[in-house]
Amino acid sequence: MNLRLLRCFLFALILVTSCSQSPVFKRYETVFKIGDQQEWAAKNWNDEGWKSGRFVVDGGRVFWSRTKIDILKAPESLHPYGLQLHAYGEYEVFWDGVMIGKNGNPGQEALLGPEGKMWATFSIPTHLTEAGEHLLALRSSLHYFSNHTRIEELGIAYYDDLLTDRLIESSYMHLFAGAFLIASFYFLFLFLSDKKEYAMLIFSISCFLFFLLILAEFIKAYVPIHYSLHVIRLQIIGILMLGISFLIPLYFSMQFPFPKRKLLLIIYAGVLLFIFLSKYDYFELTANNMTLSMWLFSFGIAVFGAYRKMKGARLVLLALLLSVLISFVASFNKSLFAGFSLILLSMFYLLSLRIKEQRLAYETSLVQSTRLRLELLKKNIQPHFLMNTLTSLIDWVEESPKKGVLFIEALAKEFDLFNQIEDQTLIPIAQEIALCRTHLEIMAYRKEVNYFWEEEGIDLAQKIPPAILHTLLENGITHSLPLEDNSIKFKLVFESTSQYRCFTFLTFAAGVRQPSRDRDEGTGLKYIKARLTESYHSNWDFTSEPTTHGWKNVLKIYA
Amino acid sequence: MNVLIVEDESRIAKRIERMTRDILGNNLHSLTHINTLHEALRFIENSSLDLVLLDLNLNGESGFDLLTTAVSGSFHTIVVSAYKDQAITAFEYGVLDFVPKPFNRDRLEQAFNRTITKEKTKANKVKFLAVKKRHRIQLIPVEDLLFIKGAGVYTELFLTDGTKELHDKSLEKLEQLLSPTFERVHKSYLLKMSEVREIIVKPGSKYMAELKNGVLIPVGRTKYKDIKAKWL
Repeated sequence: MNLRLLRCFLFALILVTSCSQSPVFKRYETVFKIGDQQEWAAKNWNDEGWKSGRFVVDGGRVFWSRTKIDILKAPESLHPYGLQLHAYGEYEVFWDGVMIGKNGNPGQEALLGPEGKMWATFSIPTHLTEAGEHLLALRSSLHYFSNHTRIEELGIAYYDDLLTDRLIESSYMHLFAGAFLIASFYFLFLFLSDKKEYAMLIFSISCFLFFLLILAEFIKAYVPIHYSLHVIRLQIIGILMLGISFLIPLYFSMQFPFPKRKLLLIIYAGVLLFIFLSKYDYFELTANNMTLSMWLFSFGIAVFGAYRKMKGARLVLLALLLSVLISFVASFNKSLFAGFSLILLSMFYLLSLRIKEQRLAYETSLVQSTRLRLELLKKNIQPHFLMNTLTSLIDWVEESPKKGVLFIEALAKEFDLFNQIEDQTLIPIAQEIALCRTHLEIMAYRKEVNYFWEEEGIDLAQKIPPAILHTLLENGITHSLPLEDNSIKFKLVFESTSQYRCFTFLTFAAGVRQPSRDRDEGTGLKYIKARLTESYHSNWDFTSEPTTHGWKNVLKIYA
Repeated sequence: MNVLIVEDESRIAKRIERMTRDILGNNLHSLTHINTLHEALRFIENSSLDLVLLDLNLNGESGFDLLTTAVSGSFHTIVVSAYKDQAITAFEYGVLDFVPKPFNRDRLEQAFNRTITKEKTKANKVKFLAVKKRHRIQLIPVEDLLFIKGAGVYTELFLTDGTKELHDKSLEKLEQLLSPTFERVHKSYLLKMSEVREIIVKPGSKYMAELKNGVLIPVGRTKYKDIKAKWL
């Protein structure tokens, strides 16, 4: 299902990228000259000797640039071409000597303050766009960034299309951004409801950063940005990319844990920071390098995950490979967004896998809790206990009614205690001890052995899962023979340190049988372990072993 | 009678003991109570017994090991257990009766009566006969059994595959357990009636039962009428 979705997504992307039409113009090299002469706008001015390439204009002086352009195809009538410029500086635009537009106030920037925008579109009169040679001249000044005397992008197409295409593109991208914004909020709320789920937080932040990244990238279509502010936008994009480039591998490292995770992540963060800071001015290169490092690291993690057969790793691997494929077919900008989206989608998929796992685990735990509760209830009605007790009871009633009554009272007490703890997962230790003592009373009537109960260091504030000690006591009674004076002694010792709480349960008896793996022993220990897991997850330790005096059970619960 | 009680619940053991003495009265020669599996096994091996009263759950251990040993013995076994669901299995192994806990004197007496009066089982529930082998006990499915021949205090089990096994129980005791599927056709023979092809009358009023595999088993003159009335 997910694979099919990805495939559709990729197909759509290729469709979008292949839709660009063949250009209607050809651009020649731009030449520059410092100075200010109106004649330089003329189509036939001889610009031999003008400089080409980069050069620096200091102090916001006016300079001119001339670019020869061939129009390959004349526009349809009443449908003018437009000129789109992405250039630094404030400038006036001349087309074949005719001024067709103005972007700011060249030469008067310091005086009048910043005006104009980085991306400007101008309409070219139809009669000036015959097929053939034309000339674009700009009268510019660069008060800020005096070394940026260049036209970054130049485009000629139908004026309407130039305006609408960008809006259409950015509206789609904003829809996309909105989806990530919602995902970001959703997973933030999920995280807030369960603060241990850091993967969700990281995913939420990644989505939010991606949302900001799209916004920062496409804001230029509808918010006029002066060329002096352009760098700030690029810096913002760089920082966003840095954040995303770190968070994505971090996320994968949480989903597919690998050895020496922390160290590798720190090294990776160092690499990213180095890339980010060292080539600070070359924004595209920096973004490229950060994306590449992000991809490489993520790929490594995914390969490790796939190698270890971790759930979802292969899909992530596939998404990463697809993103490479896209980078071959689409431009850097587009592949960046497509790639990031793919990776975020794969992260999304991983989260959904984890959420499903959690739900299953939760359902299992519910079933388990019910099962444990039933098992607790069963203790008193399982035939071995109940029928033997009743048989003994009949005998006592027949032989010594008074003792029989005491026996019944003890039995009633144990039933009552079981009733009280039946639906609890943790009960006060005092209640558990009371349960054990009552059980001993009953067993004394049945087995006619003198049972003794001792406690040491019991902290009455402690809680314990129900019937754990009771189960140990049952095992102790069942599996041991009395000492020569017909007695068996049980002793409960409690110790607590800052790291753990420890219950030691000792049996003093003769001939304690090595417990074989038969049914009863199994269910008893299983019950204890399941109860401990229910309340303490994995933060417990339980050992059970024979000693010279009988048997020793040690239960440690870690803080 | 020599009786052994195997029971780890002291009070219940005393109850069985008291009732046994009461029921058997002067018929009781010896009565022993043992509360561990190991001791019980040793005692059974080294003593001559007539009846064992067995609890199937001793000190948390399954009593079925002890049960197979017990049923391979020459004596009858009565199980006294809290686990009613084990009754069917116990009967399949060849116990004479299953007394569920809690029990009263009447129920126990009923069980004893089966041994004393040699009352036959109404429906044959036995699926296996436990046979003592060297160091182990083999369970022989009753369906593999053709007929049983008395051999002194022992019996010989003749099986469908032509082999024979020795069993410690007397022909009387096995007859008690295996009826009505098996019929005592002769003072020395216990025969599975479903294996009989026909009964041949030989000259001199000699009767022989011919089995499906051709083997001929003598039929007692006194038994013939009963069998004819019952089966033919």
